[in-house]
Amino acid sequence: MKRTVIPFGPQHPVLPEPLVLDLVLEDEKVVDAIPTIGYIHRGLEMMVERVEYTEMGFVVERICGICSFMHGMGYCVSLESIMNVEVPERAGWLRLIWAEISRIQSHLLWLGLGADAFGFENLFMHCWRMREQILDVFEKTTGGRIIHSVNRIGGVKRDISDSELAAILAELQELGAAFKETARVFRTDPSIAHRLGGVGVLSMQDARAVDAVGPMARASGIATDIRLIGANYYDRIELQPVTETDGDCLARVLVRMREIDQSIDIVRQAIGKMPKGEGQAIETKVRGLPSGEVFTRLEQPRGEVLYYVKANGTKNLERFRARTPTFANIPAMIKLVKGCDLADVPNIILTIDPCISCTER
Amino acid sequence: MANPLNLPMVRRSLRNLVSRPVTRRYPTEIRPRFAGARGTIEFDVDTCVFCMLCARRCPAAAITVSREDRYFAIEQLTCIGCGVCVEVCNKGSLTMSVNSRAGHTRAEVGPQGQRPGHEEWRKPAPAAEALVGS
Repeated sequence: MKRTVIPFGPQHPVLPEPLVLDLVLEDEKVVDAIPTIGYIHRGLEMMVERVEYTEMGFVVERICGICSFMHGMGYCVSLESIMNVEVPERAGWLRLIWAEISRIQSHLLWLGLGADAFGFENLFMHCWRMREQILDVFEKTTGGRIIHSVNRIGGVKRDISDSELAAILAELQELGAAFKETARVFRTDPSIAHRLGGVGVLSMQDARAVDAVGPMARASGIATDIRLIGANYYDRIELQPVTETDGDCLARVLVRMREIDQSIDIVRQAIGKMPKGEGQAIETKVRGLPSGEVFTRLEQPRGEVLYYVKANGTKNLERFRARTPTFANIPAMIKLVKGCDLADVPNIILTIDPCISCTER
Repeated sequence: MANPLNLPMVRRSLRNLVSRPVTRRYPTEIRPRFAGARGTIEFDVDTCVFCMLCARRCPAAAITVSREDRYFAIEQLTCIGCGVCVEVCNKGSLTMSVNSRAGHTRAEVGPQGQRPGHEEWRKPAPAAEALVGS
């Protein structure tokens, strides 16, 4: 049969960011997909040559607007382990709380985008309305809605008072209760089940073979979660990875929805376990210059992120590198797109939660 | 074919039809910024000693300071609002406003080499100040 090549992207209504897939079609079936990236490369990693290590964190958190907190945290954690800096306990817990809140906002954003991609526009509005509440929490506590600039090497810049933490928890639990109604739509609406159920199935074997990470792997039944390694106070939290077994687009939606509830529970546990009281240390002063190299792993909303930092004893780092979850999930996406219908391509691409800014940096 | 009224979103949409909007009537109704929100950098030329710490630490290189010319300039559109300059300033000359001011107005942007968001100050030398005072 004659093959047709259809370019998908870089500008496409379902894609929030520029990604190109050249879809090779036989009739309506996709037989091959050739990805191209490079439309949003900004050379942020190379900026370590110009920006001093103390200020580089502000650059790193601008890799991506959705996971900005985790990027800043990953950079600071890397530098802290190179320089053997002990972070005050309260600062560690505050980081964990902010990280989980940013996971909630990322998943809400994605659920909205996903709903928009399969044509459910009022569901999209509902998800984003809830996300606004989370962004308000961020603005109150960090000063910024998207870019928080609150991490620094040795701790965090701002403290959250205990009363404010209690108010945040109450707000999150209220949001979690309100989200149940939206979650019921995702679970029970027949049009969503029809559009996503059984589409883009990634079996557990395939997920292992292509090294899927994050919700993508968990939707295929692999209980992988970097939070389980216990770094950054996650060892003190009771945490079971959210898994689904179907491996289809609907399973990936369900995993992210359940992770919102899980994150709210983690915030509750963290607020209960963190040291209380005003005026506690939230920052260790860092002196000297870093020397050495380190790998850091974190669980971002989209999956495992890996940072490599090499310092040579000068003010500027020698190398900074981030392997982001979307980059790890692109092979899985290509695998899923092959053999599907052209109409299912947008849903499959969206359910890996692609973040091209992260991928290209 | 399912009964549309049994679909969860239909009931909710009908309820939304008669409830109040969740959005504000912007721009007539503006939510005040939260205390501690990061906005525009404000500069007080009277207290500045032109030590250049802020210019050296600014990750976006948005601040230019000249000790000889007693000159301070900030590019508000380059500023990323991280607040490092405010922290390092020993004299309290730099503060961060809660509100974000637009970096430029329409009149500022033009083909005649205007630099939107560019703000600069020059402080007369102390001797010259004394001269003016007398």
